[in-house]
Amino acid sequence: MNWRKWNNVLHRDIGYLAVGLTLIYSISGIAVNHVNEWNPNYNITKDTVAIASSADSSETNESLIAKLQNEFNIADTLKNSFRSAPLKIQLFFEKKTITADFEKRSAIVEVVSNKPILRESNFLHLNAPKKLWTYVADAFAVSLILLAITGMFMLKGKNGLSGRGKWFVIAGFIIPVAFLIIYF
Amino acid sequence: MKILKSAILGILLFTLINAEDGKKYGSELTLTEKTDVTAILEKPAEFDGKKVLIEGTIVGVCESRGCWIDVAAKEGYEKIRVKVDDGVIVFPLEAKGKTAVVEGEVYALTMEQEHNCASGEHKGEEKSCCSESEKEKKVYQIKGLGAVIK
Repeated sequence: MNWRKWNNVLHRDIGYLAVGLTLIYSISGIAVNHVNEWNPNYNITKDTVAIASSADSSETNESLIAKLQNEFNIADTLKNSFRSAPLKIQLFFEKKTITADFEKRSAIVEVVSNKPILRESNFLHLNAPKKLWTYVADAFAVSLILLAITGMFMLKGKNGLSGRGKWFVIAGFIIPVAFLIIYF
Repeated sequence: MKILKSAILGILLFTLINAEDGKKYGSELTLTEKTDVTAILEKPAEFDGKKVLIEGTIVGVCESRGCWIDVAAKEGYEKIRVKVDDGVIVFPLEAKGKTAVVEGEVYALTMEQEHNCASGEHKGEEKSCCSESEKEKKVYQIKGLGAVIK
């Protein structure tokens, strides 16, 4: 087998192997690229609602919690609570937080849910697992380098690197270089 | 092909054996003696630059990047912010209401730096830019190095 056949076999099999991670990294890449405009991991809804019952600053946490649980008819199990001021209390439930202000007689009900696929993709893309995943990500990066290099030598002739291919490669370098000149 | 199938099976087995509860974040905790959040907030200058281990309920999490948590004091109405480097530790929003044991270094910053008024970074988060007179006022946070969330 000549070198080009080996090159194409490598490109094909590494390409197959890299499909999953390429999709994960690219989808997550788009998502986190716009982190200033949206939350790539969670859907968060915040509703401000009125509190009908009144409270006194001398009341215990338990009393305030009971009032809110009755008023909002909450069946969820309370995980924890935090009183941030005499008349302000936060109640934490699974994926829901109620921040109540008895002085203003209002509460913010915050509900959080995961953005499916994106949350998991971002977790891997941003290397949250650390440890062994770091090396898997390194191997993926090396596989992309190999794909780029072997990809250039797959074809010969007018569609190969010596033909129109070189212009695409040059264009691919010019784009980042141009942005570096403008912004760097 | 046999090698590839064996590799896939091996990865699946490895995953099952190593499945973690995902409750540890960042470096391993090295301190054993815990410091009260209230003690730090009462005399923060005494703790400036010191490594501490704190424990408390997580009452706030950075919504966009998971780059900070607010940990409540056991008593009273106070809380302290634990800030981590973006991407180094990412706290999940589900951590709210859970108990965190955090190791980190106490440091001071100005109100202006804390509220990040100038850059407007982390858009969408609760943010209250301070007045001119308050800008230089010091606030204390903990630079989180490692955490366990229970």
